[in-house]
Amino acid sequence: MDTKQISNKKKDKKKKSFCHLMFINLFGGKEKMTMLEEEDIQSPWQSVLSSFKSDKVAMTALTVFLVIFVIVLIGPLVVPIDLSFSETTQQNVAPGLDLMKIPQDLDGKVEQIAIGPTFSIGVSTDGKVYIWGKTKINKNVDLKDIPANMGKVVKIAAGFDHALALNDEGKLFAWGNNRQKQTSIPVELIRDKKIVDIAAGYQNSCILTEDGYLYYLGNSTNNDFNEFHPYQGQLKKVITTSDTLIGLTFDGQVVHLGTQINSYTNIPKNMGNVVDIAATASTVASLNDEGKVFIWGNITSRDENKIPEVKDKIISIQGGSYHYTAVTENGEVISWGSNCYKQSTIPKKISEAKISKVYTGFYQNYAVTTKGKVLTWGLKGYPFGSDELGRDIFTRLLNGGRMSITIGAVAVIISTIIGVIIGGISGFFGGKVDMVLQRISEMVASLPFLPFAMILSALIGNAMSSRERVVLIMIILGLLSWPGLQRLVRAQVLSVREQEYVIAAKSLGVKRKNIIFKHILPNVISVIIVSATLSFASSMLTEATLSYLGFGVQAPLPTWGNMLYGANNSIVIQNYWWRWVFASIVLSISVVSINSIGDGLRDAIDPKSQER
Amino acid sequence: MVKYICKRILYMIFVFLVMSLVLFFLYNLIPGDPARAQLEPIKDTLTPEEYQFRYAQARKQLGLDDPPIIRYGKWMKGILKGDFGMSSVYKQPVKDVVTVPLKNTVFINIFVIALVLLITIPLGIRTAVKKHSGFDKTIQVLTVVGYSVPIFITGLLFIFIFAVKLQWFPVSGMTTPNFKGTEFERFLDIMYHLSLPIIILVVTSLAGVTRYVRAAMIDALSMDYIKTARAKGLKEKVVIYSHAWKNALLPVITLIIAWIMSVFSGSLVIERMFNLHGMGNFYINALNNQDYNVALAIQLFYIIIALLSNLVTDISYGFVDPRVRIDQ
Repeated sequence: MDTKQISNKKKDKKKKSFCHLMFINLFGGKEKMTMLEEEDIQSPWQSVLSSFKSDKVAMTALTVFLVIFVIVLIGPLVVPIDLSFSETTQQNVAPGLDLMKIPQDLDGKVEQIAIGPTFSIGVSTDGKVYIWGKTKINKNVDLKDIPANMGKVVKIAAGFDHALALNDEGKLFAWGNNRQKQTSIPVELIRDKKIVDIAAGYQNSCILTEDGYLYYLGNSTNNDFNEFHPYQGQLKKVITTSDTLIGLTFDGQVVHLGTQINSYTNIPKNMGNVVDIAATASTVASLNDEGKVFIWGNITSRDENKIPEVKDKIISIQGGSYHYTAVTENGEVISWGSNCYKQSTIPKKISEAKISKVYTGFYQNYAVTTKGKVLTWGLKGYPFGSDELGRDIFTRLLNGGRMSITIGAVAVIISTIIGVIIGGISGFFGGKVDMVLQRISEMVASLPFLPFAMILSALIGNAMSSRERVVLIMIILGLLSWPGLQRLVRAQVLSVREQEYVIAAKSLGVKRKNIIFKHILPNVISVIIVSATLSFASSMLTEATLSYLGFGVQAPLPTWGNMLYGANNSIVIQNYWWRWVFASIVLSISVVSINSIGDGLRDAIDPKSQER
Repeated sequence: MVKYICKRILYMIFVFLVMSLVLFFLYNLIPGDPARAQLEPIKDTLTPEEYQFRYAQARKQLGLDDPPIIRYGKWMKGILKGDFGMSSVYKQPVKDVVTVPLKNTVFINIFVIALVLLITIPLGIRTAVKKHSGFDKTIQVLTVVGYSVPIFITGLLFIFIFAVKLQWFPVSGMTTPNFKGTEFERFLDIMYHLSLPIIILVVTSLAGVTRYVRAAMIDALSMDYIKTARAKGLKEKVVIYSHAWKNALLPVITLIIAWIMSVFSGSLVIERMFNLHGMGNFYINALNNQDYNVALAIQLFYIIIALLSNLVTDISYGFVDPRVRIDQ
């Protein structure tokens, strides 16, 4: 008691800073004592705890692992994963949150903004073209290479991977991907004509001249377009969905410009005089002069047709990938449809401001206020990039981490239970039971682990769904990795069994059950904990290796291992580094820290092992 | 000793039979009818009655209607004669298909083992002699990282640095397609393709072996005879290399023997990664192509290798250290 008071007083005198105390608590650092003081007597567990605390490497590893653990535990609740998600327009997007980072020079004098899947093009009131976002299309094509000497640009259009610009002299420029000839301008055809409107879609470009003629360039197999459509000479505006073209005629009629009869041709009757049309990837919207909106096409479960009630008249409408935005005559913005990137949730700063014009495309939205300021909402980008199906890697890392850690943990629990039971029985009873169990254990131990896990997963998991496979992998890992622990437990039980206190307990007539659970097990538990920690790391590693080879958990369920499954070719390694770097880093850090925790625990429990 | 070895071999055969039984029944869990598959190509040319007749005949010929244990007996008999069945992908006996990848794997692993031993033994000795020095601690941390980081991540990293960025080595493959030249040029070409996988395999095996050598050496250095040797005034070099190392060698040799057996199994991940035609990649391909005869044969081969290496390790313990009485 005295010593405690003395040490307390000493602490007060020194007045350690809070940070210092925190550091001591977290990373250890023993207090120095004077000659007359001595340490309090500690129980074995206290001394284990304190020597673990003084192990800096292990404590750092514990902190790191706990942080990762908490993040992957809470993360999936905040960003749940949509397993069926896939989006062609968002494939292999580089990390960064700059998709809507409009250049400073452009802000305040926007003439028009055109939006592509991962980039946006803006033209200022003085005719200068700006481009921002992820502009690299492939190794050779980068949309940042805007053609020089375009003069004063008045109109721009952004397609899937190319862009068009029209200057005040009626001259048309195109750049970007030209694989489908979508940027090869038919100069001969339009020489004497005045171009009034341009549109760009999925691998196609549309040029509309003053006399209502439409010139179409680009992919005509993916896009349903009838070259000989009967509306030449009547068209005022053309829009593109992801697979067809819709036109608006001078007399306010909406017409389909394709050959097929499908849901796009099912144009609502009695729309009156249509003044504006817009399209998402699979639906078409039209707006008549009374401010009423009509929507048809392949309406998906993303509710593109659920137009909210508005008091004022809608005066313009724009379409993104799966959502629409519209502006009313009072400058209010409304939006509906898919909301997976919050692209149809109008932020407060925009509903408060007076908006003159809205530009919407894919998942991005730009609103220009009456004062000329540009406000944005929607998809900012991906912090860790996106993968080959357009899925956000960050979300997959969080959800995959939970899956990886769960699989590792369940496998360890299974193997620990088996190992403790078999090792305990074997050591305690000995004799023939021991013989048989040891032979079985040797048999399992002599199996080549990885190939055997693979053949089990391939043979049994053949007809399983991916969720059932997860369970299968846990069980396989658990069933194959117990012999090591079993041997340790058996050896420990054997040595404890012959100790005096157990013999004493036996001679006192303590029940066998009580001897096992109260006298033997507590003395074995330290071995179990260390072994379980180390085999937790190796289970996670094995799961990752199996999944990497394609025999573990299979897509769409993410784990850190199977996120690397597709990364096994030079194109991905070189061009899409974000698809393997982040998963590799978290997996490595987790395994290294779990191993360090295990090493630290072993050193703390058995100080002799530190000699090595 | 002889009695012990005989006992062990009998036991090995027993384990092998049990494992093959397990594998055989797993194999039979796979849905599918080999008789129907056999008739599939000529199905259109047969009338329904003819088809039924031929189908029954094929089933009988393949022995599909026998009880499982008899089928297992037949299968095992074939295996003992060296007949592992036909590969459904290559349309050749499994035995013939496996030889090429086996050769490749052995070829790769000989280099790996030689290089690993050349690096780890001096490194392990040095860290043990300079225990708890800065050098030793650095190596210790590196080896923890080394055995924690999965091999495919090391592989990806090395490919990224040496094949993609620096372009010193090819990204995958074993030879240049349509390579023409003399035998020697051919050998050089293969070595050029194999260097990166060999480097990765070496780097990933360094951690474990270094730790092992270090532990063995520390054990040897803590012995009393080392103190005696030092007290005699022997040079430190002689103490370390002549007295300590000779004794530390014993456990290291047993490790090496066990390791040499694994030469034949090949690395699943690295061979897959570089698309090398070795055992590991061959096994994965067989599983992916559902060429189960091949997969089963390789799996049995792996089990034999594992059992043999256990045996050899145990026996070598006895030879190397006569104090270890293995026959008890």
